[in-house]
Amino acid sequence: MMRQLIVFALSRIKCIQVTEADDGIVGLRELNNSKFDLVISDINMPIMDGLKLVKRIRSDDRHKDVPVIIITTEGSNEDRERAMALGASAYITKPIQAPQVIEKVKELLGI
Amino acid sequence: MSKRESRTGPPGSDRPDLRAEREAFVRSFLRKGVELTEELLKENQELQREYRKLEEENLRLRNQIASDGAIRDLLERIDRLEGERNNLMSRSNELEVSSRKHDARSRQVEQELNDLASLYVAAYQLSASLSPRKVIKQICELVEQLVGGERFALYLISADEGQALPLDSRGYEPGELAPMALADGPMADVVLTGTERVQDDPANRIEDVPLALVPLTVNGQTIAIIVLENLLPHKHAWASVDAELFRLLGTLGATALIAANLYSDAHTPGSALSTLKTKLDPKDAERAMDPAAADVGV
Repeated sequence: MMRQLIVFALSRIKCIQVTEADDGIVGLRELNNSKFDLVISDINMPIMDGLKLVKRIRSDDRHKDVPVIIITTEGSNEDRERAMALGASAYITKPIQAPQVIEKVKELLGI
Repeated sequence: MSKRESRTGPPGSDRPDLRAEREAFVRSFLRKGVELTEELLKENQELQREYRKLEEENLRLRNQIASDGAIRDLLERIDRLEGERNNLMSRSNELEVSSRKHDARSRQVEQELNDLASLYVAAYQLSASLSPRKVIKQICELVEQLVGGERFALYLISADEGQALPLDSRGYEPGELAPMALADGPMADVVLTGTERVQDDPANRIEDVPLALVPLTVNGQTIAIIVLENLLPHKHAWASVDAELFRLLGTLGATALIAANLYSDAHTPGSALSTLKTKLDPKDAERAMDPAAADVGV
């Protein structure tokens, strides 16, 4: 559900192409196969959660500069701090609002 | 004359006194002439000075007139430019007001678009599954992720037993929720009337009363209820779309729950629709059009 909202929000930004992944593993695989300018990930995901994904992305030289936005739940400070410490570039808290997503993405992509 | 003649005698016989007199006269005449000439010259010089002065004055006045004309032209030009400037200022103000209006309208449209996206996602998710467990999960996720509920529960209403049975919840300890008797109180009122009850200002809420009671109704009958106790800590007020989300949950949530439950008995889409044809005969259609005759009815 949240993914649908994020895709909607991203569709409001021109020149952005979105690739969706069901979980962290699929996301990482997509990341290795193509070039991406930005990653948005929920902190809670099946198989590989958002924190592990950030860690893996940052440990790979090819993706270490790719901005990562983490969606955190219920305003959990601890999760947010961990995500930022692991190398997330920004976070968004639920409930998701499209303007919030658009603003963060534009800021990180400098558009 | 005759007297003078008699004194001076005939011409050519001038006497010395006469000659002296004549010479004195001539000298006097000449002096007078010189004086007169000098006066005339002086007067002429003064007149020339006066003439030059007048010419200068004339020139000055001409210049002044020309200068006054230039000033007049300049003043007219300034007036014209000021008029143009006022027009431009007024146009600029109009444009500014119009721009502000457009900005406000643009923000409003953007907000409405976001609200519609939330409603679309909610409706899509509610109708995306025919598994009762998934439908219940979706209802809870909608309350959690779109409304921003932190502590809430979804109860099934058992009209026969006069009870509300907890189906799922967020923010409660396992086993914390038990079936509740619907005797009186706000929850019983909402179940009875099928009308949601939402506190206007979550930041200044009435304690001991849930923030929102949202009935899930079908044909005027409440089949379930969402009891929202708390919002997420960073959500201090309702969003514009929350009321619509509650209404959508109240209607689509109820039908999704019933459809999923009926489908789970049928096991396959084919068997779920096996009796559809028989329900489309005119008598049944008539019955379906009459809400009084309709049952819980999907």
